Amino acid sequence: MNADICIVGGGAGGAVAAAELAEGGARVVLLEQGAEHDADNFSARPPEMLARLYRDGGQTLTLGKPPMLLPLGRGIGGTTMINSGTCFRTPAHVLERWTEEFGLELDEETLRPCFERVEQALSVGEVTPELAGANAAVARRGAERLGWSHGYLSRNARGCVGSGVCVFGCPTSAKQHTGITYIPRARAAGAEIVTGADVREIVLERGQTQGVRARLAGGRTLAVRAPRVIVACGAIHTPLLLARSSIGGGSGQLASNLSLHPATAAFALMDEQVDMARGVPQSFYVDEFAAEGIMFEGVAGPPAYAAMSLPLSGERHAQAMANYRHLAQFGLMVSDSSRGQVRSLGGRPLIRYDLAHEDIRKFRTGLARLEELFLAAGAREVYLPLPDGVRPEQARARDLKLMAFHPLGTARADARPSHGVTDGGLAVHGVSGVYVADGSVVPSALGVNPQMTIMALATRLAMRLLDADRLAPLAASGAQPNLES
Amino acid sequence: MSTGLESFLAAAPWPQQAGLRVLLALMRRPRGAALLARVPSLEQAARSALLLGRYDDPALARTLGWDAAAVVARGRELRRSEGRA
Repeated sequence: MNADICIVGGGAGGAVAAAELAEGGARVVLLEQGAEHDADNFSARPPEMLARLYRDGGQTLTLGKPPMLLPLGRGIGGTTMINSGTCFRTPAHVLERWTEEFGLELDEETLRPCFERVEQALSVGEVTPELAGANAAVARRGAERLGWSHGYLSRNARGCVGSGVCVFGCPTSAKQHTGITYIPRARAAGAEIVTGADVREIVLERGQTQGVRARLAGGRTLAVRAPRVIVACGAIHTPLLLARSSIGGGSGQLASNLSLHPATAAFALMDEQVDMARGVPQSFYVDEFAAEGIMFEGVAGPPAYAAMSLPLSGERHAQAMANYRHLAQFGLMVSDSSRGQVRSLGGRPLIRYDLAHEDIRKFRTGLARLEELFLAAGAREVYLPLPDGVRPEQARARDLKLMAFHPLGTARADARPSHGVTDGGLAVHGVSGVYVADGSVVPSALGVNPQMTIMALATRLAMRLLDADRLAPLAASGAQPNLES
Repeated sequence: MSTGLESFLAAAPWPQQAGLRVLLALMRRPRGAALLARVPSLEQAARSALLLGRYDDPALARTLGWDAAAVVARGRELRRSEGRA
């Protein structure tokens, strides 16, 4: 196949770049490793949907203290298809840090048009109290009684009826993930979208990109010739593709600096009926302690999901689950100072990440405050994710039952080639024509959900490529795409 | 083992899949369960998978107020009536 731009990955970054570039007149080929999922096949049943929509069935694991599950989406839409839909712009203090520490000229004014464009495309709006449901009402009551800063989250949803299974495939297609927003736009503008394409290599000649080689089902090979390649496989897989292609290793930073949002959640037994899976699971936040790197966000799900994460065992677990309709749940997410790395082992990512002492301290504080929040809301009992007899202030890394979200930083942007993998324009240092548009370029923890940051950066990259009139003249050559097998 | 749990296990990377299958087999036997209780992290992993499968049972979930089939049916209806993707 021939293209002006080949994009690897159809998630938050890749889909946005594909639509913007195709609509701008570029010939785009997007290669996605996973499938294109049809909402008609969504069952609202967690085990089945984990197996179908998530990479490794949702069982991607980080190794370290403590080990954590790192859920990642796989397929058109990527993780936007299975996230909670929470939308935050990049916080101003984070952008300031990027300028000072990494030499990136990305201030609020620069990114505002990109954010506005993405928010419009995704129908971003604040959740209403009615749609937020009773689980959010519990947290709101607690926050109000304690005088803690809080609010309803903004989400990319349209016509949401609160099905309660955002992370298991939205059955109403209300969540405006990139697979049903940007990908149709890209197609309508002429982009070729190929699923089941496992890109093995970016081909370079004398430092200039020539395109990519991918494996298709059945062992066929697909070659895409393109003078520009945008890598958007996410912070776990992008560094592995770059490393396989001997690209981006000059600074020694490739596949390092992995930042995550380690997270956990507590349950509470309430007098009122909560029915946590009725309403938007992640609809409310408490940001009173955001400056300390501690953020509380709603989380909830059907019984199978709750049973799996409820931190009790035996008869106590059974009794609590018998009261499922009266259970509330709320999540705690930490803006990390820990840093991990990704390596390849037998072709699979090996993710190493140890929780730094500073982050353990944030969890101790956060869990104590989460308990306080529930008690202020009138909880009869609070179930913290800690072993029996361990109080939050005593928790060690191995006591914490954590999951990890939002991997970032493994191909970090830094204006200096000696310090980063890409420059501020997301071009990979040291080669020509290779760009990165996913969470791996984000050079520091955000403290908030990153999908909007990734999409805004991808928008900016697309606009800059179009605006600079730097597209190769392939679009005018009349060359027809052809499959090479 | 339920179909859902089987597909969940089958989707895991092979080392985890093999490990979880062994743990689940141990969990179902009294002596195996007693052995697992000595390693809380492994017991937790096995228990989580088992509970994921158990509470996915539609009949049990309905007694707890959750009807996945009804949620899906409502979604289908909305998508058709409003022409969503």
